[in-house]
Amino acid sequence: MKLFDYVRATSTGDAVSAGGDYIAGGTDLLNLMKDGVEAPDRVVDINALPLGGISLDAGVLRIGALARMAEVAAHPAVRHRLPVISQALLDSASPQIRNMASISGNLLQRTRCWYFRDTAFACHKRRPGSGCPAQDGQNRWHAILGGSDRCIAVHASDLAVALTALEATVVTHRRRIPISEFYLLPEGTPERENVLESGELITGIEVPVTTLASRSRYLKLRDRATFEFAVVSVAAAVRLRGGEVDDVRLAFGGVAPRPWRSPEAEAALKGGPLTDERIRAAGQALVRDARPREHNAFKVELVQRALAQILGGFR
Amino acid sequence: MIVGRPMSRIDGFAKVTGRARYAADQQVRGVLHAYLVMSTVARGRITAVNTAGAEAAPGVIAVFTHLNMPRLTVPAPTHGFFKRYLPMQSPDVHHQGQPVALVVARTLEEAQHAATLVEVAYDARRPQSRLEEVMNEAFVPPPGSDGPNELTRGDVAAGMAQAQVRLEAAFHTPIHHHNPIEPSATQAIWDGDRLTVFESTQSLMNTRHSLSQAFGIPLENVRVLSPFLGGGFGAKGPVWPHTILTAAVARRLRRPVKLVLSRAHTYTSNGHRAETVQSLRLGARRDGRITALEHIVTQQVSRTEQTQFNSSEPTRMLYAIPNLRSVQRVARLDLPAQSFMRSPEAVTAHALECTLDELAYELDLDPIEVRLRNHADVNPEDGRPWGSKYLRECYRIGAERFGWSRRDPRPGSMRDGDMLVGWGMATAAHTAGGRPGSGVTVTLGTDGKATVRSATQDIGTGTYTVMTQIAADVLGLPVYDVSFQLGDSDFPEAYTSGASATVPTVGSGVNLAGTRALERLMALATAAGPLQGLPAARVAAADGYLFDREQPRRRVSHRAVLRAHGRPIEVTLTPPAAPLGYSTGATFAEVRIDPRTGRVHVSRIVGVFDPGRVLNRKTLRSQAIGGAIWAIGFTLSEHTLVDPATARIVNANLSGYLVPVNADVPHIDVSFIDKPDPASAALGARGFGETPMTGVTAAIANAVFHATGRRIRTLPITQDRLL
Repeated sequence: MKLFDYVRATSTGDAVSAGGDYIAGGTDLLNLMKDGVEAPDRVVDINALPLGGISLDAGVLRIGALARMAEVAAHPAVRHRLPVISQALLDSASPQIRNMASISGNLLQRTRCWYFRDTAFACHKRRPGSGCPAQDGQNRWHAILGGSDRCIAVHASDLAVALTALEATVVTHRRRIPISEFYLLPEGTPERENVLESGELITGIEVPVTTLASRSRYLKLRDRATFEFAVVSVAAAVRLRGGEVDDVRLAFGGVAPRPWRSPEAEAALKGGPLTDERIRAAGQALVRDARPREHNAFKVELVQRALAQILGGFR
Repeated sequence: MIVGRPMSRIDGFAKVTGRARYAADQQVRGVLHAYLVMSTVARGRITAVNTAGAEAAPGVIAVFTHLNMPRLTVPAPTHGFFKRYLPMQSPDVHHQGQPVALVVARTLEEAQHAATLVEVAYDARRPQSRLEEVMNEAFVPPPGSDGPNELTRGDVAAGMAQAQVRLEAAFHTPIHHHNPIEPSATQAIWDGDRLTVFESTQSLMNTRHSLSQAFGIPLENVRVLSPFLGGGFGAKGPVWPHTILTAAVARRLRRPVKLVLSRAHTYTSNGHRAETVQSLRLGARRDGRITALEHIVTQQVSRTEQTQFNSSEPTRMLYAIPNLRSVQRVARLDLPAQSFMRSPEAVTAHALECTLDELAYELDLDPIEVRLRNHADVNPEDGRPWGSKYLRECYRIGAERFGWSRRDPRPGSMRDGDMLVGWGMATAAHTAGGRPGSGVTVTLGTDGKATVRSATQDIGTGTYTVMTQIAADVLGLPVYDVSFQLGDSDFPEAYTSGASATVPTVGSGVNLAGTRALERLMALATAAGPLQGLPAARVAAADGYLFDREQPRRRVSHRAVLRAHGRPIEVTLTPPAAPLGYSTGATFAEVRIDPRTGRVHVSRIVGVFDPGRVLNRKTLRSQAIGGAIWAIGFTLSEHTLVDPATARIVNANLSGYLVPVNADVPHIDVSFIDKPDPASAALGARGFGETPMTGVTAAIANAVFHATGRRIRTLPITQDRLL
């Protein structure tokens, strides 16, 4: 690991003006630094900033940027009013990591793509212009939607999938960003993963607390029972009225370089009952533009099955 | 009897309180830290190295490459150096992750950082890492230490002609890595031309001989210390280059040097379980009797060696098959040398036991019945009787404990709500021992206490504890008056802790040396004192006393005899080679599968085993549980993946290589027959550690078939294969 400066900020202003990479729980950044994937000159510790806490006020849940994953998952209002957030968090990582990792850091964690995480490989995200060996390599875990010829890495956060379904807002020290506009698709610039500008600091997350959000669930499929990232995941919120889908939000993990909202699948479900046939149509709408590679074609089928399974639970 | 008691491990307290010093924990004054730079190509030559940046980095003492690494002798493979070449002796690169430079610095962090500054240029050639693409280049290597790689018994064509049912099946198993929790570590300290090494090794013997050969120094000049291991599973049985390179730079720098492999480095610095492609042809009569079997295993070897460990014993030994052809082929790929990994026979056993399940369905017979009809009453290899074999009892008891009679054999017939339930079974079997005896010294001190020493290892299996129990039993001492010491090559030479050979080779040595020492003690006791004049046959020993069998109150303590003698009794010996044992069992698995997503969960495992006499029920049960957990990983989640363009492993870490977590592991019901094997010189115990992983893999796969009707012959059975 390269030598770096360590600065402990005590106010947001200090943190921003310190000019370095922010660190909170460090559960991802430290690994990336040890592996040489990240090599910041300066690390700014933001743990002393007054950005913790979880509060519910006027129909909005506010989660401080430094709230820990375990704390948010266990919060009674989150569990009862926004269950998909709690479920997504508890399906993430391990208890030790959930005790350390911050909510804002969770949203900014880097992809698990092994070509990105091993500096011996080319990677456009790590070294723009160098190449993307995942395209023809070991790509079982890679994207079927939203990828480009330069990158097919998937976003790793379960929480981000849940927040996408709930239309959360990311709040920074400068502005408010709807989560649907927060993450970027790779296209020609996979090194840019979100719209944050240099030095911009996330101060919190806001989630509208609605009746739809209270009817939300998370389903995560993976290769072992716990402590593993999603092969495919779904966050769903469904409100039925008179047996028909009155409102629905669907977001998917493990299939795209960012949490994947599917308005097409939602449209296929709205205004009718949750029949097998309509669920199938929604699944087909979701994967219409899927572009699988050698080893991940199964995700096209699996994500539709995951959707059917989670929606079946709302009937 | 002390043997058989479920005694807790003697080293447990030291381990949980941090007092146990592992190789890298030993505090060595003035030690320097080394870190490896690994090749980033798989095949080619180094054309240039630039070490200027690394040499100028803070704390760096020296940077070694093939240009300045001291010249070394490649040790012979007979003592576990299988690679047949040492890196950094020439510009040649034979696989990804081969050491190309070694940085030595004052601190580990400085060495790690400087390692990133070493620049290496290569003339690289495109590597080949796909086994399926080189199948036509596969060949049968000459016989190795484990016997022939091609074996024919009877006449397979004739046997197939007699068959009423014929099956053909092809299996594929991936690369696996051992992943012990403690990565390999070396600390090398020279004093003139004498070398002391703290090493995490399953073989003091192999390490000592290889170092002696590499440096051309007498064997007695090398001392290897390895009192504790954080697991090995075969990774630390052979000797790998990093150990020799560390000692080489320590000698050159005249300073102690420490090297700990990173997790990623272990993936290419140790061996691995090779990828295999297996084809089976099996013929049987309608009554279930197998008339012919052909089993051809093709596995990867590297460009530099063709070491082939016999893994086909299940094919050759497990069933009475009159007409047999068993072939072990190898094909070269640009990957690191493969080697042995816990339960090597599991790979072939998996294919065989899955095929027997297919046969059971083909014949509409119970899978247990098929196995009973082909039971090997004698060893099919040589026609000689087994020392003992209680496999039939294992099937019977296992079936009872599992509730096998309630199984509806029709695939997909059993459900629990929305979940498909599957029940499968398979035979567990692994050879054990058949290796040279291990040297042991027993010393009875004038304080009446025993010290037992052997240059063996405790790889976490319980060697400290079990050998203490054997010695206490044989010597008639309470366990707290016996100290068993291992992990020091100054003790009598012992065999590698591998091949399930520790109990057979060391246990027999402790038994024999202890018996001799007791005879000498009895001779003293019957020459004078309370037992004077008694024939030896009338004297027994227990709880620290020698006594008259007919009048137990007539007794004398070990301590009194030895004190009167005035000096210790010491016996050193190496027992005869341990016979090749065959520990078997019956394993049963229940799986639950979500038909919508294909995800397999193992919900129950039952194993009944015949390990001969049980020396310690607790440590033995731990072995059985560990084996079952390994089998879950082997069957459902573990595989090492190689990037096809570069032959570089992409998941060389515990984030990408998925070993089971607690939530993947169900209750595991373990029981033992516990009857001594008369052929064993270790109080009736056979080697056992590698048996319980076998069987369970196929039991799970057979349960998957029972649940779904799908025969998945490619491992691991991830959910995509069941969609």
